[in-house]
Amino acid sequence: MQAINSKNRNLPNNLGIKGWVWAGRYTWERYLYTLHRLTGLGLLLFITIHLGINGTRIWGASSWEDAMDILETPAFKVGEYLVVAAFIFHALNGGRLILQHMAYTLGKPKAPIYPYVDAMRQNRLLMWAVLFVIVVLAIFALVLFVI
Amino acid sequence: MKETRLKILQYVSGIAIFIVAGFHILYSHFLKEDVTEWNSIADRAADNWWLAFYVLLLIFGLYHGLHGLRTIILEYFSISNSTVKVLDYVFIIAGLAILGYGTYIPVEAL
Repeated sequence: MQAINSKNRNLPNNLGIKGWVWAGRYTWERYLYTLHRLTGLGLLLFITIHLGINGTRIWGASSWEDAMDILETPAFKVGEYLVVAAFIFHALNGGRLILQHMAYTLGKPKAPIYPYVDAMRQNRLLMWAVLFVIVVLAIFALVLFVI
Repeated sequence: MKETRLKILQYVSGIAIFIVAGFHILYSHFLKEDVTEWNSIADRAADNWWLAFYVLLLIFGLYHGLHGLRTIILEYFSISNSTVKVLDYVFIIAGLAILGYGTYIPVEAL
């Protein structure tokens, strides 16, 4: 990776994979970061499974219909909901990350007067708003897909 | 390609997936009832617009997913620049192979 130069390459990653389960002082944003990655990996796995199931079409209508019968089972309905919930979370949290990374949420520069407001706390309202929308949509999807 | 450009493409593909996959989910589950029926999927496979829609969704999804996986790997494993290049080629070949298979399915099943 170009961003890691040869001087830094041997430095240990402070938290490593443990940082996915223990956020330390970073609290909410760090857990959202973990969940963003887990949902992303889950959705990537889903794409491959989805393509695998779609592939049954090659063997004709009866193979396809057999595959569709399996998808009608309750376990797959729950799985389907988890995919939709992961999509909702990943999309909305991803939107928040884009806004933050592109610095749209930082506001105008202010004089550094105590108590200081760091960028993370400045963005926290947006985080709560996005979380609220995610929870509402996830509940809505639960009603539509499972209940 | 520079890392910054790859990251911008990650954002662009993410927004594109939100729109295209959002429509895919809405259409599949709420707008059309017989979406998994054989005739319904055969009709869509025969329609070039639908085919283009699904191929676009696959392109955006594969780029976003594989670049995301690459980001995670590079963050947790300290690997040399030459190994990163090998990894990049592996991802490109895997992505093209999956894209080829995903496009072959509806065309072959016609």
